[in-house]
Amino acid sequence: MTEIILWVSVQELCQCGGFTEQIIVEAVDHGIAQPADGDNITDWVFDTTTVHWLRKAVRLHYDLEIDWIAISMVVDLLQKNEVLEQQSRRFEQQLNRFIN
Amino acid sequence: MDFKDYYQLLGVSEDSDSKDIKTAYRKLARKYHPDMNPDPGAEDKFKEVAEAYEVLKDAGRRAEYDELRQHGNRQGAGFEPPPNWQRSGGFSDADSTRFEGDFSDFFNSMFRGGATEADQQPKGSRGQDAEIEMPIFLEETVTETSKLVEYQIPVYENGQVKDVKKSLKVKIPAGTVDGERVRLKGQGGYGQGDGPHGDLYLHIRLVPHPLFDVEGHNLVITVPLAPWEAALGAKVTVPTLTGKIHLTIAPNSQAGTRLRIKGKGMKTKTGTGDMFALLKIVVPSSANDEVKALWQSLAEKAEFDPRAQWSNE
Repeated sequence: MTEIILWVSVQELCQCGGFTEQIIVEAVDHGIAQPADGDNITDWVFDTTTVHWLRKAVRLHYDLEIDWIAISMVVDLLQKNEVLEQQSRRFEQQLNRFIN
Repeated sequence: MDFKDYYQLLGVSEDSDSKDIKTAYRKLARKYHPDMNPDPGAEDKFKEVAEAYEVLKDAGRRAEYDELRQHGNRQGAGFEPPPNWQRSGGFSDADSTRFEGDFSDFFNSMFRGGATEADQQPKGSRGQDAEIEMPIFLEETVTETSKLVEYQIPVYENGQVKDVKKSLKVKIPAGTVDGERVRLKGQGGYGQGDGPHGDLYLHIRLVPHPLFDVEGHNLVITVPLAPWEAALGAKVTVPTLTGKIHLTIAPNSQAGTRLRIKGKGMKTKTGTGDMFALLKIVVPSSANDEVKALWQSLAEKAEFDPRAQWSNE
């Protein structure tokens, strides 16, 4: 059976390539990523969904040359959009059950 | 190898200044960036645009490219760099955009001395992470389930990229929710040399259920009722994820009412959600004469105006 890991440490994030400690601190400062646990950077751990958004944020930072404040807004909107899309799919499904 | 016209890719002219090039890149990047544009093909288009910008934004690289472009134009469709071509401008991976950084053979032959991308990876570098969508059934979230995952990952071998099929048995923990990402350490792209493998992320997607809708950790089931069941009250048997329960419908129940059934929702890591029974009133699609007569006498006897609230307006 394969090992499933729910937490990722800062050290591991840096090994994933593209991340540096400085980037992770920037992302946390701007609310893009929130450590699930740990008081300082050496103890921080992140959940796997945060890793996904962090990767998106770093890509946007380099590819579109936009600053962290703008990225935190973009990521926030992308996340809200994902929630709304999910909600809309669910309501549509419920409505269909109710009408048909 | 085809010659790439970076000016054309960015939609700028040869004599555009760096500001115009930047503006053109930003416009196209916003349009095609795979994080903003989910269309298939957007990612490839973005990579082309990013590659063009990588060259044209740097004065030294642009000058080299312009020189080669003269050569490329003379050659027609097929392109080979001149035999005595020596790249002068430095290019390191640290300069590249972070989006995977995989540029075309054309780019590599110009700025990386003909090296393929695999050669460019420093010895011992870590493999890339991969993410795949993982559909699971609602019933599978109730207990820990093992699922077979089959996927393909690109592997570099002798400078060539090959897709390798992999299959894994994965334990999906009980209480996994829609949209969650499960990380499988070391199951992603292969590392170069002694480098460790990347990770595999499973993006959990709940398959729509024929009976239940999911709201967070709660489940919603739509319960169809006959008009007389709604009027007189009834006891109905309602399926849950783990069995069946008996539900009491109060007399004079309205369509759209949600009845809470505690603890019959989805299992989570912190507890169990609830189930909601959403009432829906269904009228028979046909009626015989006897039933029609009964409806008729009901219509006469029941003093009920369903549109009473309209009369005030």
